[in-house]
Amino acid sequence: MTPIVAFRGVGKRFPGVVALEGVSFDLAPGECHAICGENGAGKSTLMKLLSGVITDYDGEILVRGVPARFCGTRDAEAAGIAIIHQELNLVEQLSAAANIFLGRERRTPSGLLDDAAMEREAAALLAELECPVDPRTPAGSLRVGDQQLLEIAKAMSLASDVLIMDEPTSALTDAEVARLDRVIARLRGRGVSLLYISHKMDEVFRLADRITVLRDGRVVTTVDRAATTPREITGWMVGRDIAGHEFHGPRSPGQKVLEVRGLSLPWPDHPRGYRLHDVSFELRAGEILGVAGLMGAGRTELLETIFGAVEPTWTGEIHLDGRAVRFAHPAEACAAGIAMVTEDRKRLGLFPDLDVAANVSLCSLTDAVRGGLLSRGREEALVAAPLRETGVKTPGPHAAITGLSGGNQQKCIIGRWLLVKPRILLLDDPTRGIDVGAKAELYALIDRLCREGLAVILTSSELPELLTLADRILVLAEGRVTAELPRAVATEQAIMEAATGGAPAR
Amino acid sequence: MNFPGSAGGGWRLPRHELAILAAAAVVFLATGWLDPNHTYFANWAESRDIILRNTALLGIIALGASVVIIAGGIDLSAGSMVAFSATTCALVLTLCAAPDDRRLVTVGPAGIAAAIAAALLSGLLVGTLHTWLITAIRLPPFVATLATLVGLRSFARAMCLFVTKERWGSESQQINVNTPFFAWLKEHNVWIMTATFLLLAVVTWLILSRTVLGRHLYALGGNEQAARLSGIRTENVKWFAYCYASLTAALAGIFLMADSSVAQPGNLARGYELNAIAAAVVGGCSLQGGVGTVPGTVLGALFLRLVIDAVSKLIKASADVYEGMIVGIIVALAVTFTQVGRRGQAGRSFFAGLRGLAAIPTIAIFAALLATMAAANVPALAGRTGLFGCLVGGATVVALALVRRLEGRHAT
Repeated sequence: MTPIVAFRGVGKRFPGVVALEGVSFDLAPGECHAICGENGAGKSTLMKLLSGVITDYDGEILVRGVPARFCGTRDAEAAGIAIIHQELNLVEQLSAAANIFLGRERRTPSGLLDDAAMEREAAALLAELECPVDPRTPAGSLRVGDQQLLEIAKAMSLASDVLIMDEPTSALTDAEVARLDRVIARLRGRGVSLLYISHKMDEVFRLADRITVLRDGRVVTTVDRAATTPREITGWMVGRDIAGHEFHGPRSPGQKVLEVRGLSLPWPDHPRGYRLHDVSFELRAGEILGVAGLMGAGRTELLETIFGAVEPTWTGEIHLDGRAVRFAHPAEACAAGIAMVTEDRKRLGLFPDLDVAANVSLCSLTDAVRGGLLSRGREEALVAAPLRETGVKTPGPHAAITGLSGGNQQKCIIGRWLLVKPRILLLDDPTRGIDVGAKAELYALIDRLCREGLAVILTSSELPELLTLADRILVLAEGRVTAELPRAVATEQAIMEAATGGAPAR
Repeated sequence: MNFPGSAGGGWRLPRHELAILAAAAVVFLATGWLDPNHTYFANWAESRDIILRNTALLGIIALGASVVIIAGGIDLSAGSMVAFSATTCALVLTLCAAPDDRRLVTVGPAGIAAAIAAALLSGLLVGTLHTWLITAIRLPPFVATLATLVGLRSFARAMCLFVTKERWGSESQQINVNTPFFAWLKEHNVWIMTATFLLLAVVTWLILSRTVLGRHLYALGGNEQAARLSGIRTENVKWFAYCYASLTAALAGIFLMADSSVAQPGNLARGYELNAIAAAVVGGCSLQGGVGTVPGTVLGALFLRLVIDAVSKLIKASADVYEGMIVGIIVALAVTFTQVGRRGQAGRSFFAGLRGLAAIPTIAIFAALLATMAAANVPALAGRTGLFGCLVGGATVVALALVRRLEGRHAT
């Protein structure tokens, strides 16, 4: 039987990164095919190629045996391929029916919008999906689970026979997940083929016929579900060569500086109800605590809560040097000796209109003031030390920050925080989007700072990074701590099992 | 001095500022030469006073506007703020004058000081209100200041009616101010306003480029989230920015009241806010926030006033008829040129596709109508205005079609 979609040696490069390389596998008609992989393994990129979001790639994609090259999502839709993105694409102000028929509106013979016909068709589609909503309801006022079904209804109205679902259950309640399972079964009954992206093993093993594992942009293997186990899949997801970084001997943690007890952060209007639930741990001076977890596990939220960057609606206790603290603004956390290097450098860290020196001096500007005014000389002297210590390569202190490489930009931001002389440094995925050489330099820097007595909490979406740097690793899954592993016993396998909600090891 | 993109950084050639300066010089010399009366050369003192006075008035408001814009916000309320402050000032004078003195000549020094203080205080109040609406109620700055743009003027009018009724027994839509101090201010308005403007420019420049607060303003405008996560109290920085904008408008209100010897909240300073924003934008401020300089804003204000004055000289029409058109065209052109200068925009075509094609006759029709109207004021073209308009329109079509042709060739 001809596969409905076949990938043949598909590759995609972004500047400096190979996102996909030599990817080949088939999607059989009527099958549910799961794609598994870590964060950054290339799953989303692959789906963007198939759905026409990315149009420029190597290799070829055959649809029903014919090479296809889509020039946009409309092309892919016309070929019967629809994608349900993790971030749903709905116009929230328009009605459910209007969203389903967006861009292909039904018209009356006189050329006016035929709302009645669209609402009738929409109602029929939604009823078939067990989605009890009025097609005239604005999409934005629907629950996430219903919004998702709306997207599926849109795909059905297009008569799509290939449906891509990207982490569809990440925001669903248990009842909604069960309904989605039934919808998927019904779609398969109609002969629709599904590509199902997920890193939740229970779902994958409940729904999929075959599983393809991606790692670092390559296909590790494609197996029948019956022939494998969740343990084997997680093993394939992580099993790669670890870049060798050895530091000189073990670190010797000192006094306890931070203690978190029963920390919970509510998440209103979300079925889970919380971003963090009952998180407890402690941190010592001269120690690196790694925080592992998949996307949405609550890593960033944990750091932001400690740093006072979220609305202080959390419950539980945070003790700094034995004193209970509750920061309502990052400025208070800074004053107490906590610094945070944020996850998304461009969005949350950099000031593109300011030069290198101004980016580094921002948090300690009062040290550069003479007679009430900023002194250029003092500012240059102030930033010289952190720029040297972090090894930033810049044409000069007044170069444009946007002209530096990602690694050097990140060093500037770390330098900014070193200037405030923190006692606790929170690093949220600090090496994301940074090349290998710069990563090694950052590792050495973090290790040195830690040996000088700094307490560090490090999150990372790359497990080898945590295993290289951390003394202990806290694993989060859906806002809860599922494991706390000393480095001696931590392995990628153990972490991945805890992060995918597998066996809670402790 | 510091220039765009280098707040606190090293010196680099202020290209944008030099370009405005050069453009201003060209406009000045061309007007002096083309104007049949050569007013700029023959009657320099009078022309100078008009330009300086208008530039100072616009510039004072524009400095406040640029601080808000650099901080990533917008203040649409400046014109109403001017009227509100002028009214407040006049009403306090009314209350301090003798009860039957409707010309306000009997106000003593204490009353004058109180009136000026009240006007400035009204600026602080409005700035604080804006900040509260934006940070606590979380209104977008555009909406918050749109509300006060509409609301403050009406509020000032109601206040005017109420106080005059209470004080004099009869309602009045306006208050004449003949207080000797303000008459003196009017007599010396050019130099006092220019000096105030320049002093304010120096103070604003010092704040923006040489203080911690100024750096925080740039940081806030450049990346608000990152600024907050860097421990900057962004709400307080916004408070300063909006108060500064309202305060400069309040200051302009005092001058404008003195200058016209009357506080008439109904029409005073209508539309000034848009000219102030335009001056800041022409001067290089980005409405995205984080970019802009004081020298740029000062030159932007000067350039706008020069062009407005030049047009009124050349086509002998009342300046305020053409003012809006000139400001609109200059803002569009200035931002176009800045964008074309930036990387990634160089190869863009302006007249591609059906929309590009439709734009050519659109622009030509406007150009033809404008040329016809302008020709009516030129003696040499008397009786041939229609023909002249058609010629200009035709030339525009040919020129733009040529541009489109060239773009098409570049694209392929």
